[in-house]
Amino acid sequence: MKIFWKTGEPYVLATGAALAIILVLSLTLVGTVMTNGLGYFWPRALVQFELKDGSRALGQITQQEKNPISGERRLQLKVGNRDVFGQDFRWIDEKEIVSRTTPVDAVLLERREHGNYFGMLQGVTAEGMSLSGGSPYEKLHQARSVVAGKLDDTRTIKKQMSSLNTTVEGLRLKLQKLEYRGKEKNSSEIIELTALREKTMAEFSLLNEKATATQTEIGRITAQFTDSAGGGKDISLLEIIALQRPNSMSFFAKCGAYLERVRELLLDDPRESNTEGGLFPAIFGTVMMVLLMSVFSLPFGVVAAIYLREYARDGLMTRMVRIAVNNLAGVPSIVYGVFGLGFFVYGIGGSIDSIFFPERLPTPTFGTGGILWSSLTLALLTVPVVIVATEESLASIPKGIREGSLALGATKFQTLTKILLPMATPGIMTGLILSMARAAGEVAPLMIVGVVKLAPTLPFDTIYPYFHMDRKFMHLGFHIYDVGFQSPNVEAAKPMVFVTTMLLLAIVIFASSAAIYLRNRMRGKYTTSTF
Amino acid sequence: MAQFFIDKSRRNDRIAEVLIRIGGVLVIVSVVWILVMISRVALPLFYPASARIAATFRLPAAISAGRVLAVGAEENQKGAFILDESGTFHFLKVADGSLSASIRVPSTPTGAARIVSAEYIGKSAYNLLWDTGAITSVTVALASVKDPDGTVSLTHEVTAQEELSFAASNGIVQSFARPIEGKGAVRIDRLAGDRLRINHQLIEKDLLGNEKRSDTGAEITDPLPGRISALAVDSKGHYLYLGTDTGWLQRWDISEPGQNRLLDSLPASEEHKAITSLTLVLGDVSIAVGDAGGRLTTWFPVKVAGSGDDRRLTRIHTLRSTIGPVSRIISSPRDKTLFTLDAGEIHVDHMTSERNLLTIKPAVPATHVALSPKGNTLSALDNNGGVTIWKMDIPHPEISFGTLFGKVWYEGYDRPEYAWQSSAANDDFEPKLSLVPLVFGTIKATLFAMLFAVPLALLAALYTSQFMSPKLKGRVKPVVEIMAAIPSVVIGFLAGLWLAPLIDKSVLTVFLSIVIVPLMLLFTIFFWKRIRTASLLQKVTRGHEFIAMIPVVILGIYCAFLLSGLAEIHLFAGDFKQWLFSTLGVRYDQRNSIIIAIALGFAVIPIIFTIAEDAISNVPRNLTAASLALGASRWQTAWRVVLPSALPGVFSAVMIGFGRAIGETMIVLMATGNTPIMSWSLFNGLRSLSANIAVEIPEAPLDGSLYRVLFLSAVLLFIFTFIINSGAEGLRQRFRKKYGRY
Repeated sequence: MKIFWKTGEPYVLATGAALAIILVLSLTLVGTVMTNGLGYFWPRALVQFELKDGSRALGQITQQEKNPISGERRLQLKVGNRDVFGQDFRWIDEKEIVSRTTPVDAVLLERREHGNYFGMLQGVTAEGMSLSGGSPYEKLHQARSVVAGKLDDTRTIKKQMSSLNTTVEGLRLKLQKLEYRGKEKNSSEIIELTALREKTMAEFSLLNEKATATQTEIGRITAQFTDSAGGGKDISLLEIIALQRPNSMSFFAKCGAYLERVRELLLDDPRESNTEGGLFPAIFGTVMMVLLMSVFSLPFGVVAAIYLREYARDGLMTRMVRIAVNNLAGVPSIVYGVFGLGFFVYGIGGSIDSIFFPERLPTPTFGTGGILWSSLTLALLTVPVVIVATEESLASIPKGIREGSLALGATKFQTLTKILLPMATPGIMTGLILSMARAAGEVAPLMIVGVVKLAPTLPFDTIYPYFHMDRKFMHLGFHIYDVGFQSPNVEAAKPMVFVTTMLLLAIVIFASSAAIYLRNRMRGKYTTSTF
Repeated sequence: MAQFFIDKSRRNDRIAEVLIRIGGVLVIVSVVWILVMISRVALPLFYPASARIAATFRLPAAISAGRVLAVGAEENQKGAFILDESGTFHFLKVADGSLSASIRVPSTPTGAARIVSAEYIGKSAYNLLWDTGAITSVTVALASVKDPDGTVSLTHEVTAQEELSFAASNGIVQSFARPIEGKGAVRIDRLAGDRLRINHQLIEKDLLGNEKRSDTGAEITDPLPGRISALAVDSKGHYLYLGTDTGWLQRWDISEPGQNRLLDSLPASEEHKAITSLTLVLGDVSIAVGDAGGRLTTWFPVKVAGSGDDRRLTRIHTLRSTIGPVSRIISSPRDKTLFTLDAGEIHVDHMTSERNLLTIKPAVPATHVALSPKGNTLSALDNNGGVTIWKMDIPHPEISFGTLFGKVWYEGYDRPEYAWQSSAANDDFEPKLSLVPLVFGTIKATLFAMLFAVPLALLAALYTSQFMSPKLKGRVKPVVEIMAAIPSVVIGFLAGLWLAPLIDKSVLTVFLSIVIVPLMLLFTIFFWKRIRTASLLQKVTRGHEFIAMIPVVILGIYCAFLLSGLAEIHLFAGDFKQWLFSTLGVRYDQRNSIIIAIALGFAVIPIIFTIAEDAISNVPRNLTAASLALGASRWQTAWRVVLPSALPGVFSAVMIGFGRAIGETMIVLMATGNTPIMSWSLFNGLRSLSANIAVEIPEAPLDGSLYRVLFLSAVLLFIFTFIINSGAEGLRQRFRKKYGRY
């Protein structure tokens, strides 16, 4: 025992405990995100409670705890029906509960507005439509499939409308330009363009009328529901996005519903100020920004690393470059954001506007945050990662290979492109992936230089010139911040934030694992072991 | 062919070399460029003010300078106007001094022939006191339009304000009139013989819409401590300020009709110099006092200790001592800048920053001075009929080194304080842009986080590099490296929306964990040998000890959680937070420094861990081998041999972690309440420099003071991290040189 203490074994255990704490912390973080994120889409049972005061409550149980004031156990129920009850959640003391049932035909509606609706289906009103089904539920299904078909039609109309809209906008800008250049109001060109614009606008309003007519026609098809408090509600089928009867679903049906929700998450647009629906624009924005960033940071980073490792002699210059690289890595990201705002957005962007788009001023085109400025800012932020990784991989190539190549008469440049760079590719890839992971998770600078809560259009689409560098975009990380901290109903938005967090975390962890795997494989390949 | 190929190769080689060198240099350039760019935006904060003479001209012969009561100019320095005794506004083109129009004041009171005095009451409006004692109010609108062909045309208009007109009265020396919002108006007259009379003209409407007029007059009968030498009334007609030739300053409450209360009466200076000028600073809180000794001070009422809610007029800022007596003070309509006129010179000072911005010396001493409604044009008229118009350029008068880093006595505060409050709903608000609370918040967050992170990260690094089995090390290290890649927004979100409510429910768990987890560990360590031989843990061999510690840690936290419930009930009367407030007077914020310490600490742990682990692992194996061969235990080797050698590297790891923590934005933004307070309390939030930038910059107007101050804080962050990172890098390079490996 004495030896055990004297040799310092307890201290070893203490250091081990420190590592244990760190691992527990990380596992807690990942575990919390996973449990909260993964469970959100699972169709949970709708439980109906009869309370002592005679009232009833229908909803999904979200948590149970001890009431901090009375010490009684209580449970939190998501009762939905925000438009009827005023709030999404309510606490129920367990001693208040008389009975709890799971009614088979309880319906969960995902609506376009006001969050979910929980209740019982009563009937369907469909004017001018013959519904053959027997039960109201079957009728509703039938009506929904009819409505879905009509909605597809309106969607094509809407698409036409939006393309007309862009044409009109383009014409407006052209006219503005001509007027700015001093063309007379009655010149043939302007008259021609104005006529064209008016014609397109007329077409647009014609389509608009058509779309509105279909909308009102569908809007007349409604379904009647009653909620747990007994109140009835007439809900238009247009409002209903999805409909479930979680209490009567089989396990596989639930799996199907789960997968459907995952698909929606990845491919659909957000609804209700981002607290419902999908994440597609945010995922798209993040990916595109990261790719665009790589285009800028990769060449610059690789060239700088080659300079440091292959061309520079050890001296003051190299030392300074190294210090510069380390500082680029250490400067707070928000400082990059401030720099991006002052230099890219107001500096370069402002100049571009005053040179190329003076007719649009004071409405800024490039003189405001956008995807180009965001990716440039992040490129600067992540360049050190690429430099360090490339340098490391160049350093790990044995000297003999360089000397062999040079001895055979190759120039330095030939050695570089034909021998060294191919060998260093895994290392460069590592740096690239790490920088992408960093960029995908960085939010602070983006908040300043171009990320928005809700972008109406994607930065890439089928309209010329396809890549719209001046557009603002959505970003997963900012989505977390915005929905979690700036939405009016944080409690209801929390599950969505957890899902987003899980997605972002998965992307980042996957990318960095890949990078670390690549790096370790490369290390094993080239480093000559010293011991 | 071969020669051609060789030439081509050589040429390519040379071109590539040049390009690559440029690339290398570009890295340095970009670092310098970042600093230069953000400094360039911040620098104009400290630019001096300037005034450029836009024009000088003589009044046309038709107007005699002696009979002028007011001058004025418009924003673009193209037009000016003169009000003369007869009640006529003469509008002049600045370019040549020619008369553009003369407009007589509409609705002249009956019997009035001459204006005695004109008081500028802001927003282009004048109160005119006529020789009969009647008062009318007029608004002057003057604007210039530049046509495409370059000619300037002026538009002018003079309108009468109906609600402010007082009937004739006798024996008036000086008079003020103020509208009372929706209720009528008040008139303050200084009568011959230093008598003051306050007249309330109120209109009340009953439910049926009948108007009832009431006229209440009251004279101030109290003896005054000298002859009146200056008077000022605030824009709402609530307070009357009075200065005497014996240097006394008085404040009267005249808001109640018929009742005038003396609130303050005190000497404005020790020397009892006569007060020569009084003016209210924009916002009507501070009064600027100029005396015969040339001193300019500002005062506002402050709560005095021991007098309850009573507020006493107190001298706050002393702005300037000039030689000549202050003859007039004009307050800027845009901010807290004051223009003082003394014997021939015009001085410009800012109240908050106490900066002496500018001194203008007109060739001939000015008799009338006025500012344009936006405060960017100064016009002056001298005795010889010469008019001078200056274009003022005062970039950021409220910013000085003192306001950024020192204590400032802001309006409405009871003492000088460090404060950050960049904006408010009203325009006449005094911006409080002290960086001290933000620097304090940054340091507080960083320190707490480092207290949490450094011991854990360094001990874990020591364990991983020295005691852990190599196979396991190959698995644990990547895990920690992946931890480093977790986006800070994720950590911040969990800290703010998951951890904060969790800790809010049971704060004591955190404190008890700090005690109980080490106790449990100690307990385990103490019985380690016995536990190990007696259980399944036999398989846990050297290099795997930490696995056995994981359940102990979890168990410890759980025990702490259970005990905290008991402790709360028995020691703190059931509610720790209530106890904290009632006994210690500490307010508990849900997002407080404990959360920050854990979240920010968690974010920097992987960084410190990775670098420290590298440094410790890079200590040559032969040192360890020699130590072990001499019979030292593995702990003795690690503690006495390896760690001292790796110390520079370990230290640089801590520094880099420190640098990261200072600049971290999202975590601090999300996990604190972002309240810029200065308190070391664990239970309060904070606001850091970086989070402040993220919060404020989207709303900061381009090139405004706030925008530039935010850039300045970015410069501070840059320089701070630059020093730390360069220091760490220097240490690391020395360390590398020592062991010659990389």
